[in-house]
Amino acid sequence: MSQLLKIEDFTLGFADRPPLLDSVSLHVNDGEAVALVGESGSGKSLTTRAALGLFPGGSEFSGTVSVQGLNTLTASKQRLMELRRGHASMIFQDPRAGINPVRTVGDFLTETLLRFHGLSRAEATERAVKQLEQVGLRRAKELMDQHPHQLSGGMLQRVMIAAALLNSPDLLLCDEPTTALDVTTQAGIVRLLREEQQSRGMGMLFITHDLNLAASLCERVYVLRRGTVVEHGPTRNVFQTPQQDYTRQLVEATPVIDVADVDAPAAVGAPLLEVSGVSKTYQLPRGEVITALDNAGFSLPEGGSLGVVGESGSGKSTLARLVVALETATTGELSLRGVPRPHRTLKAAERKVLAKDVQIVFQDPYLSLDPRIPVGNAVADVFRLHQRQGRKQARASAAELLGKVGIGPERFDARPRALSGGQRQRVALAKALAARPRLLVLDEATSALDVSVQAQVLELVEELRDQFGLTILFVTHDLAVVSRLCSEILVMHQGRIVEQGPTARILEDPGDDYTKNLIASRPRPLWDAEPVIA
Amino acid sequence: MTLAISLPQAGLRRYGSLLSPLAWVALAVAAAVVLLSLFAPVLAPYDPDYVDLNNVLAGPGAQHLLGTDALGRDLFSRLMHGGRTSLLGPTIVVIGSTVLGLLLGLVAGWSEGWLGKVLGRVFDLLFAFPALLMAMLAIALFGKGLFAPILAMTIAYVPYVARLAQSLVVAERSRPYVQAYRVLGFRTPWVVLGRVLPNLIPTVGAQSTLNFGYVLADLAALSFIGLGVQPPTSDWGAMIEESRGALLGGYILPAFWPALVVVLVVVAVNVIGEELSDRIGGKLS
Repeated sequence: MSQLLKIEDFTLGFADRPPLLDSVSLHVNDGEAVALVGESGSGKSLTTRAALGLFPGGSEFSGTVSVQGLNTLTASKQRLMELRRGHASMIFQDPRAGINPVRTVGDFLTETLLRFHGLSRAEATERAVKQLEQVGLRRAKELMDQHPHQLSGGMLQRVMIAAALLNSPDLLLCDEPTTALDVTTQAGIVRLLREEQQSRGMGMLFITHDLNLAASLCERVYVLRRGTVVEHGPTRNVFQTPQQDYTRQLVEATPVIDVADVDAPAAVGAPLLEVSGVSKTYQLPRGEVITALDNAGFSLPEGGSLGVVGESGSGKSTLARLVVALETATTGELSLRGVPRPHRTLKAAERKVLAKDVQIVFQDPYLSLDPRIPVGNAVADVFRLHQRQGRKQARASAAELLGKVGIGPERFDARPRALSGGQRQRVALAKALAARPRLLVLDEATSALDVSVQAQVLELVEELRDQFGLTILFVTHDLAVVSRLCSEILVMHQGRIVEQGPTARILEDPGDDYTKNLIASRPRPLWDAEPVIA
Repeated sequence: MTLAISLPQAGLRRYGSLLSPLAWVALAVAAAVVLLSLFAPVLAPYDPDYVDLNNVLAGPGAQHLLGTDALGRDLFSRLMHGGRTSLLGPTIVVIGSTVLGLLLGLVAGWSEGWLGKVLGRVFDLLFAFPALLMAMLAIALFGKGLFAPILAMTIAYVPYVARLAQSLVVAERSRPYVQAYRVLGFRTPWVVLGRVLPNLIPTVGAQSTLNFGYVLADLAALSFIGLGVQPPTSDWGAMIEESRGALLGGYILPAFWPALVVVLVVVAVNVIGEELSDRIGGKLS
């Protein structure tokens, strides 16, 4: 078997700075699927781009990167162009960023065929339609005349895959191609990639931060950390018997569904949050009515923990925003501690009272803190507002609380941009807790974090829950994360609650078809006997 | 113009050491002009209005650094004193339009109902009137001098600031950090004035800096056509106008120096403004 992609001692960096990649060596054989796993900033994208001869401007590099014997570090522009047109293709994370929004799918697919492969328009169209059908898109002919915005993210990623396969590449480079997609959509894309890779005998380098995903798709894996390959080998060996500490941590931090490990205490208290018959509809300018939340009803006891699981558009975020009064329910009753919520925008005084009952932590750690305010002051402000503390006392309280979430006093005067994503989420937690709420809503609060950081933040949430006697409403797309933290689960789909009950019961014996699909869509390792279910 | 302008992650602190060489030159020019104008009464070698008919239209020399005009007045001194009125006007206009524009923009951006829409239309309407036309209308109403054009220009430049502020506020309002403030129970005025407003200032400041150059040129033009600053007060625009006779007689310098200063200041201010907006990452008009 020949080595299709061969990277040897590849070092890349900018002058006067530590290298971004430090003697990375890896190879992909013909017909082999290889995963490149690492957290953000580990250099996985840089490595992959180098295979196509793409380097950040002004960077210095050494070593060899060769595709089918062509050294992309030294090859002429012409040769690189030929490589990209005929031998190697790449699929990116965000399909929408890679396609011209004002041109049709057909234009996009046939362009290279017409310009560089000398096909006639009819031939090119025929080939593109065939390719679209092959990647599992129905009504391919009509699709050719549609614009990107008319397609869902999953469909568009299939179009991108079709485009990448059109020139029958020998090497397919995938840069987190499913990260922006829902779990059930991801399952389909992964299956498609695996099928195509197998049937075409293509070499594939699959970049991901998700170990489970790597295991479900690739025979071999390289683990990258801060620009260095720390471990590599057959996927099963690396995951089941990791040799390096870092790999071990990564494996441990990767959330898995383990029913036996559902250790969240079952709640017994009086109902804290009661929701019955709550709907939220939006009126679009054109008169269309969108139902974001349809007749939702549940009750969350004091000290309980409820996971709200759903994919994008399921209404889970709307539910979270209703609970913290960022939205007002169109119909239905929502009451906190037995106090019904009025069906109007809250007054300032009401909001302040509510703030002591319920707080929220948002998903994006980069947008959820005020960029200008030092983190200590941000927390101290809340103490001054809610605990009526003076400036000095509030600073002391803030420092103490920040200490509890793992932010030391040396960070007190730091602005958010000086902190990492995980640290920012810790500050966001401290800010919310400074109001001393009973109910804490976590809206995908760990989804944007690296797995190892996510694990730490989840651990912190567990600690804080015990320490502050919090009731938790955890909104997420990730079943595994919820199973770790919540004793009850509520599954949402297209604005409706399709199933709710104890976590263990739902995971082991889901009653609803959608829940079954959701659980089955989680990536399974190749060595796992169970087949991937549609 | 794209409305999605990302705000800086930090204030203006990090820009200080990162200015491009061109911006440093611009800053030096602007600073020199401002200082010379500010301290004109102390530094100017002559009384700017002192007529010396024995020494008219003299060339640059040891006695008169830049020469004299048709009435024998020292051009250098007149330029320095002229800067006081020529820079004062734009300063007032920029401060006035920035404060008004920020307030209106905040209100327009924050209110989701009819008020925001009405204000948005008012800004559109104001955009339709060129600043110079508004200034001439105001002069027709209030008479010649500095007051009328300054008032008119202030109003004319409000929409430039207000529109920008409005779009920034709309973007900020939906940011999680602002929503977190709401959930935490902070009062809206505190959030808007205490937290959102300071985050807008770098971007709006860059726009206002650019406006300064335009206003300076507009006011100089008004003085040139005789509607702005009235003689004998020295003003760059008025100086060019007064030198028209000499210009026809072949004496370029009395008109050249004020024109050069106007161009230098406008270019310098624009360079600084562009540099600021580049640093902030937004693309201003």
